[in-house]
Amino acid sequence: MEDKSKIYYNPYFGGVVLGLILLATFYLTGRGLGASGAAKSTVVAAVDKFAPGHAHKSHYYSKFLSDDEHPLNNWLVFEVVGMLAGALLSGALAGRLKFKTEHSPKITVRRRLLFAGIGGFMFGFGSQVARGCTSGAALSGAAVLSLGGFITMMAIFGSAYGFAYFFRKLWI
Amino acid sequence: METTVKWATFLVPGALILGLLALLLDLKHKLFFWQLYTTIRMESPMSWGAWTLMFITPLSMIWVAGYLKEIIPGWNWKYKVLENSEKWINENRKLLAWIMIIFALILGIYTGILLSAFNARPLWNNPILGPLFLVSGMSTGIATIMWMSKNHKERKILGKIDLLLIGIELFLITHMIMGFMAGPSVQLEAASLFLGGQFTVSFWVFVIILGLIFPAALEILELTGFKVPIAIPAMLILIGGLVFRFIMVEAGQITRYLY
Repeated sequence: MEDKSKIYYNPYFGGVVLGLILLATFYLTGRGLGASGAAKSTVVAAVDKFAPGHAHKSHYYSKFLSDDEHPLNNWLVFEVVGMLAGALLSGALAGRLKFKTEHSPKITVRRRLLFAGIGGFMFGFGSQVARGCTSGAALSGAAVLSLGGFITMMAIFGSAYGFAYFFRKLWI
Repeated sequence: METTVKWATFLVPGALILGLLALLLDLKHKLFFWQLYTTIRMESPMSWGAWTLMFITPLSMIWVAGYLKEIIPGWNWKYKVLENSEKWINENRKLLAWIMIIFALILGIYTGILLSAFNARPLWNNPILGPLFLVSGMSTGIATIMWMSKNHKERKILGKIDLLLIGIELFLITHMIMGFMAGPSVQLEAASLFLGGQFTVSFWVFVIILGLIFPAALEILELTGFKVPIAIPAMLILIGGLVFRFIMVEAGQITRYLY
């Protein structure tokens, strides 16, 4: 079999497909996509498990807790499980299923993981302050022409553009 | 087929002992367990199970003992009797295998039949449960062997068998639910636990999709030449099988005839 592990889709084509998926999601489930929401639900469920008193007192956590539904019984959690499964299938079809860390040749794996971890932590925190991440607030929001969606989109990509200069050594 | 015949069988005595221990812990009067062995009752699934376990557990140890020398080089039985028994085992493997296949089939099916004998529980009280538990057990067993095997040819054969078993399992599940749907209202109620009730998500997501269909898709990909780490479908099948049993046992206790 030919080596397809380096062939990726054209990003513009991928973008259109993502838009169609978003449309299909609205049609099938009646709501938009999301990614950070599943991480949030996991955190809420874990805090509720180990420190239920704290979870119920906290203004933030208590919003996501109810007596008759488990915090993990949430559409976004299942969506992310499906996303993992789909990504695995796509990786298998493209012959790209192996453990590796993508990083610039100029930095070490540890450095990449460290900065990815810090960035992910900050993004997760920011997405909760902004009530949604790139998928939940920007994509799904803009799809229904919400002003907040457009502002989030511009804020995320604009600040990424602005800050990229300071962290360029991590990539080039 | 070395892993299937030799190495994977080393798991069996441990798994059987663990299961027996769980059965013992489940008994109300633990010290009276031996009374199961004072009688043989053909009409009681528990009697079948108890006697089968009585035979298959030592047999599985004997089967494994014959391969100890291959897995631990320099193993010495020390006594002439044991050395001679080992020779006898290795000469009569086929006979032993046939006996064990029959006992293994009974062992795999009796748990389902045991549950279906509870005529007060509509969810359990259906004749599909026995074959369904047997097929699910065989499929998880094959997943384990596939995970252990390093031989490409062996994995391919096992993958094909497993796909067949997953197909049968999906058919039996469909058949079971259709049977409920055509039944009296207590059975309709039992089926509704999976069709909108409290077990809908866990059953369809973790058993049907992630435990059967998705690993089957991965296995098909692997058989057609794509590279898939075998641990992923194997683990999904094992988790799916476990979740399936938990759900059936949990859900069955909710369903009843009298209100």
